[in-house]
Amino acid sequence: MAQHAKAGRTRTLDAVDVVVDSDAHVTESVDQLLEYVDERDEGLRRIIEDAAQPAHDIYSVAHPTPPFIHTDAFGDVYSDAPTGSLEAKRAEMEEFELDYSILSPTLNLSLATVNNDRAAVVLAKAYNEWVLDQFTEEGDDSILTPVVIPPQAPDKAAEIIDDNGNEDGVCAVSVPSTGLVPPPGHRWYDPIYEAAEDNGLPLLFHSGSGATADIFPVMRKWTEVYAEDHAMVHPFTAMWNLTSMLFQAVPARYPDLQFVFQEAGVGWIPYTKWRLDDHYLELSDEVPGLDKLPSKYVDDQFTFTTQPLGYTGDHPEQLAKMIELVGPENLMYASDLPHPDFDPPEELFDRIRGHLDDEAVRGMMGETAVDVFGLS
Amino acid sequence: MSGVRYRVATASEVAEPGDRVIADIEGQEVAVFNVDGDLHALPNFCPHQAAPLCEGEVTGRMVMGDDGWSWEYVQRGEVVTCPWHGWKFDVTTGRNIKDEDVAIPSYDVERDGDDVLVVR
Repeated sequence: MAQHAKAGRTRTLDAVDVVVDSDAHVTESVDQLLEYVDERDEGLRRIIEDAAQPAHDIYSVAHPTPPFIHTDAFGDVYSDAPTGSLEAKRAEMEEFELDYSILSPTLNLSLATVNNDRAAVVLAKAYNEWVLDQFTEEGDDSILTPVVIPPQAPDKAAEIIDDNGNEDGVCAVSVPSTGLVPPPGHRWYDPIYEAAEDNGLPLLFHSGSGATADIFPVMRKWTEVYAEDHAMVHPFTAMWNLTSMLFQAVPARYPDLQFVFQEAGVGWIPYTKWRLDDHYLELSDEVPGLDKLPSKYVDDQFTFTTQPLGYTGDHPEQLAKMIELVGPENLMYASDLPHPDFDPPEELFDRIRGHLDDEAVRGMMGETAVDVFGLS
Repeated sequence: MSGVRYRVATASEVAEPGDRVIADIEGQEVAVFNVDGDLHALPNFCPHQAAPLCEGEVTGRMVMGDDGWSWEYVQRGEVVTCPWHGWKFDVTTGRNIKDEDVAIPSYDVERDGDDVLVVR
């Protein structure tokens, strides 16, 4: 991987002891995963192998126009698989001075689009085997991974959580969260919530622009360019999933679970909290499962990763104000590297120091993630 | 009991469970409800957006059953639903049924012969 010149970049992070990247992507290819398919699943491996275009014939990934053209600092994340190795992730961490990385997949953000449930289970297992083998090292918790689960098979997902939950290198459970049918408040997913709670693991929900072809909230039909698709898929997914989970009382039913929503930025959070509180009070006969305002469940059981922060033009202080509205204790810095809309840590740090107190800044940059993910 | 007593109704006007009157006390509207034979008084005012709360439907409320599945309808006749936005208040306490931080005053009510008095 190319090293990037640091000239012109101001490094200001000396004031922060620990920086945790709470959404650090790897870029896996189907070929890489096929090498990790269990022998017992040879038949399904052969079917997947036979797909000329596995992104379409196994997964149902579709974009209106090609994603992220002409931003190849870290390679084409959808074909070169530039962060397909530990060495590449370590190089990113060194360049951006990241102490810890919590890994997320790339292709498998679209795992929910796999049409064949058995194939989805096989791919999830293979991904977990691959990422644990290639990226995590015994006795070193600077790179940790969630167990990625196939949401279309909750019973099998629970088995995967139980099988991997205690392994070295595992710090969470990740639900590929765009295109969930039914939505995540449905009791269909109870086995996943129970398994995560039993294993003491936080549950991550990561949206993905590859998963928008068919399913609410961002049906790809009629979006003409990737920019339209990508701009809204992350916040719409997060708003829809949070609404479903809160009004169907998931956090009330699983009070020991911590939930982490990734990659939707921060601006949607106060708006959504206000709106859900409003509906909770106005339509209260429809939400008897909640014992307190939805926003209070959010405050108590949800954290959110910050990337992409968005461009605030000439008014960077507005971001600090927005973060005050969310509650800084519920936010965790994330880079999203190597995806071409990543935020270096300074993108957050420079805009909040001077506006928020030191404890809030240190919490957002890393200390909250240390608690959520149990880092040493 | 401290406070000033205001005659707001005759006993026959709120004699039956479900009866309600809204009276004017020095410019403030106060409602008296008969809930299972007991009288309760609340200001006719919703703290949400200043609606005439006590003109709304008297209902029950939905709660989750102990089995975690069934929705049970309880407190029939004890909950007033604001006619503007549906906020629900416990008529017997003045408390919002969904947000413990929201409440309106609950006034004492006395019967004196044929007079119903609100103590404010």
